[in-house]
Amino acid sequence: MRVRKELDRVPGYEVANHRIDTWWWLVVAVVGIVLLLALRMPDPYWRIIRFVSDGIGVTVGVTLTAFVLTLVLGLIAAIGRLSNSGFIRSLTTVYVEIARGIPLMVQLLFWYFAFPSLIQSFGRLLNYQPFERYLADPFTMAILGLTFCYAAYMSEIYRAGIQSIPKGQNEAARSLGMTHGQAMRHIILPQAVRVILPPVGNEFISLLKDSSLVSVVAVADMTRRGREFMAANFIPVETWIMIALLYLVMTLISGRIVAWIERKTQTEER
Amino acid sequence: MATEPIIHIENLHKHFGLTPALKGIDLDIYSGEVVVIIGPSGSGKSTLLRCINRLEEYDSGGIIVDNIPLTTAENINAIRTEVGMVFQSFNLFPHLTVLENVMIAQKVVRKRSKAEAMTIAQNLLEKVGIPEKAYDFPGQLSGGQQQRVAIARALAMNPKIMLFDEPTSALDPEMIQEVLDVMLQLASEGMTMVVVSHEMGFARAAADRAVLMDEGVIVEEAVPDVLFSAPKQARTQAFLSKIL
Repeated sequence: MRVRKELDRVPGYEVANHRIDTWWWLVVAVVGIVLLLALRMPDPYWRIIRFVSDGIGVTVGVTLTAFVLTLVLGLIAAIGRLSNSGFIRSLTTVYVEIARGIPLMVQLLFWYFAFPSLIQSFGRLLNYQPFERYLADPFTMAILGLTFCYAAYMSEIYRAGIQSIPKGQNEAARSLGMTHGQAMRHIILPQAVRVILPPVGNEFISLLKDSSLVSVVAVADMTRRGREFMAANFIPVETWIMIALLYLVMTLISGRIVAWIERKTQTEER
Repeated sequence: MATEPIIHIENLHKHFGLTPALKGIDLDIYSGEVVVIIGPSGSGKSTLLRCINRLEEYDSGGIIVDNIPLTTAENINAIRTEVGMVFQSFNLFPHLTVLENVMIAQKVVRKRSKAEAMTIAQNLLEKVGIPEKAYDFPGQLSGGQQQRVAIARALAMNPKIMLFDEPTSALDPEMIQEVLDVMLQLASEGMTMVVVSHEMGFARAAADRAVLMDEGVIVEEAVPDVLFSAPKQARTQAFLSKIL
């Protein structure tokens, strides 16, 4: 605390702090606009919010589920890319290149429309009933598609974080008799976490925005509910202003949380 | 002195790409011996040291440590628990306190209880002279203090052999002695030590043998006093004239 107080007297630091406060005001301002519109002009704005409210839940649910899965799959892929085995390394590299090289929209369409068809054909070929009757659940396929793509990006963040830890750390751990896994778990990863937290937070915000793409594969998220409202009421301007504001509230709040984590990891740096 | 060497190195070869680093090293080190390896930079002395606990792989030849050949992964891990290593750049774990640095491998590798590991760690910090820094982080310590913690961290595994890779080269001059004092004490307790260092004072005071390496081969080895004052080889004389 004492250090923080002294830092406040450093001109540059004060400016940085001040800027962060300004961004919090932006969150307050956007939330204020949403409330103002909803209260002063309940028709159509409050109607829009009520109509898309279940979509807000879907957007948050899809994003959080896909994010947690991305964190796990991304770590597995990162460890694969740093593996000593050439085969595992090639396999994960091919995965990362494929997942990053195809537009997310195309990937989502593939998982929802093409993947179940392939499974069904496969089932007919093998005469295996469960595969023949396989039907895709939009929610599952959307999460699968988002996770497949985002885990590739996440693995690159993890990999950069792990590689940013000096080689001597691993050597010291191994020279004490730790196995590769023990050195990773007790020495490398705890240090890498500090490096990767800010970019991981940014990935979360990107994922939140890109989750709007799942609206094309029959998931009733906020964007899809917005389209349905527009189709029924023919008021595109009001509809998309409100949808945009709702996304903005979510991303701005997430952004402030990421910035807070970033500052916290920096001040704890020793 | 035991008849069987605790470290037996035979015809060791190692290349970095096309550059040869070690060109047929034969060296036996006996239990309780202190061996100092000197030589110009790029002579392969650090590489040789790092081959002993297999931080560096070698191309051909063989190393047997405490009757365990360095072959399979299990053997390598078994040897690493018997061989402590101290690095030029300390390599303390910055996210752990000093005490935790000394405890972590005891808990993870030796499977000691937290209480037991802590008692051992506190005793070792006492031994290297910085018990009061137990709850500080490595970044808050001076270089000399960090290196002494690194020695304590290696000793916590109860190694039979300690390897020192230029332990004082990264230190400010006024901190070198405090690290050497700890090493001298270890030597006097009968620890088997292999030390890559140009600290002539330490070599004279503690070493049983000094080995001069150049261009991947052992040029000459002798009792330190003899090697430093009456070198036989021209290359030894040339090297000593530069550093003395």
